Amino acid sequence: MRILLMGHPNVGKSAVFNRLTGARVTESNYPGTTVDYTKGRVRIEGDSFEIIDVPGAFSLEPKDKAEEVAVKMLEENKEAVAICVIDASKMERGLYLALQVIEKGYPVVIALNMWDVAQDKNIEIDVEELEDILTVPVVPVTAISGEGIRELALRIKEASLVKIEKIIEKAGN
Amino acid sequence: MLDLEQRWELIDKIAKRTIKFGKYRHTLKDAIAEITVKPLTGIPIAIAVLYGFWAFFVAFAGFFTDGFLVKLFDMHWLPWLQEVFPAGKESWLYYIFVGDPLADNCFEAFGMLTSGLFVVIGVVLPAIVAFYLVLIVLEDSGYLPRLAVLIDTVLHKIGLHGYAIVPSILSLGCNVPACTACRILETKKQRFIMRTILAIFIPCGAQLGIMLKVIPETVGWVILYLLAGYFILGFILSRIVPGESPELLLDIPSYQRPTFSNVGRKLWVRTSSFFTTAIPFVLLGVIIINVLHLTGVIDWLATGLGPLLSGWFGVPKETVGALIVAFLRKDLAVAQLSAIEMTKYQMVTSVVLVSIYFPCIATFVMLLKEGGVKGFLGSLAALVATVFLYGGLLHLIWILLGVA
Amino acid sequence: MRKKLSEMMYGEEGIVKSIKESLKGKIAGMGIRVSKKVKMQTKQPIKGPVVIIIDKAETSLGLGLADKILVEVRDEDSVNGSS
Repeated sequence: MRILLMGHPNVGKSAVFNRLTGARVTESNYPGTTVDYTKGRVRIEGDSFEIIDVPGAFSLEPKDKAEEVAVKMLEENKEAVAICVIDASKMERGLYLALQVIEKGYPVVIALNMWDVAQDKNIEIDVEELEDILTVPVVPVTAISGEGIRELALRIKEASLVKIEKIIEKAGN
Repeated sequence: MLDLEQRWELIDKIAKRTIKFGKYRHTLKDAIAEITVKPLTGIPIAIAVLYGFWAFFVAFAGFFTDGFLVKLFDMHWLPWLQEVFPAGKESWLYYIFVGDPLADNCFEAFGMLTSGLFVVIGVVLPAIVAFYLVLIVLEDSGYLPRLAVLIDTVLHKIGLHGYAIVPSILSLGCNVPACTACRILETKKQRFIMRTILAIFIPCGAQLGIMLKVIPETVGWVILYLLAGYFILGFILSRIVPGESPELLLDIPSYQRPTFSNVGRKLWVRTSSFFTTAIPFVLLGVIIINVLHLTGVIDWLATGLGPLLSGWFGVPKETVGALIVAFLRKDLAVAQLSAIEMTKYQMVTSVVLVSIYFPCIATFVMLLKEGGVKGFLGSLAALVATVFLYGGLLHLIWILLGVA
Repeated sequence: MRKKLSEMMYGEEGIVKSIKESLKGKIAGMGIRVSKKVKMQTKQPIKGPVVIIIDKAETSLGLGLADKILVEVRDEDSVNGSS
């Protein structure tokens, strides 16, 4: 199994990658820092998986080369599981990309990163409800401090294919 | 797949059921975000930030180079090496490794172990560290996208947009990663213009560091002339290169306090990559130049190219050696110029020539890799025209001023 | 009253009413979409880009792009009254 780490630029994707793999990828606070992908390995309950830090993309309709790389990585790894990293304080637009990935037919785990920032901003997110609607694992994470990373790793194998119609149905009532 | 409206509709439903926005308090971060992007306050702040960047760079590099390293190399390393080097002072081995036996400083000796090491460790290393330290703090804080917004109008005139400030600033550290960073621009045309003008006109950190040391009084003018060239060539290319120049569309991240560990790690990664790529090239460059000197190739080239160099560019024919080595390392080339007898004005022209004439070999490879054969040839054509016209123009200016 | 995003004043707020088809997909991922509240953070001089805030996220758009977005703002009086 191969894991793709997807998400917008500047949502702390590289920090999540470092935490999961023990790698030391550096990060910068501007869109397009990582125009190429980085590979690493993550150990989950004794098994080792390959994980790819995909360049940040806002959507799957690419507007620059970094986003093209992201779309290409998805297409080249049809069997992969995707971890979608979302900035918890900007959840709606993060879901836009996550839903696109789900629609494309990838099993997804959602990491709500920068959880601490969202809490500072008095943003309350009902994680259980979100998980129930999306029927994919949703894990609050603060990658900078490492909080939630363990759970994120453990729940990767719960990721499964979800039909978008099912999500629409669940969200509707 | 859903269409865009359906997807947003779904997200609205999900958001309504799962997110509650509490009372939002404005923070200091919001206030800083506002004043750094509004033109009335943002532009003076940007000027202050960039000036501060330069001032720190000069002070930091000067402190270590002039304060410690020059003394270390000139008063201890050089005399010691001249004393203990096993081969005789007349031998070619001595010439290559130690250089001029009468030299009393590491700039003029021009041996591999004297000038070579001195340039890399004594002059360039402090400059690189100083540069990256500030750059990394700017990168990690989230200031660069704001700078991009402020400078957008200007960069529009040369077919780019504000975000081109990112490869441009990265390029001041090293042109190689800057070529890769051009990928953040949307169209082929923009990436071509960016790569070409940065490879030709933006001096890298190593070169800046050595320029500060070799031509401290005129370095400002050289940079100004290069900057003007950056805009002039950009302007011309934006008119003749086919393709589109889309407008700025940029997400601006929130400010963040740079973390010590990330800054440290990045500084280490970049400095160590400087070490592994620069040191072999500098040392190799010294050997090549010395061998070419010993075998008479330099003299032969100097005689052959002399009329062109002195006639068209107005610089002494001895600069040919520096121009050859500029292909390997710009810092080493500028260092070599310092040992040649010439006027202040000729020196400025030579340094400008070394800068715009051929990017270093590593950048050259990147131009090919990122631009493909067609893009590479395009950049090359722009480069050759620039060297002759823009380099010659400087000579013309000196003639008109009566100082040539 | 409706106006283009590019015509909004400093600090003015409004609701996004429509986005030209050619731009819609490009900015969707940045969270810019119809029915969202938008605030004009700044406009740069000499036809420079605008910076807007939607859902607390700042985005900068060139003026030509901002032309393609229509916004409903409260009429002039109340804007003047509140600012």
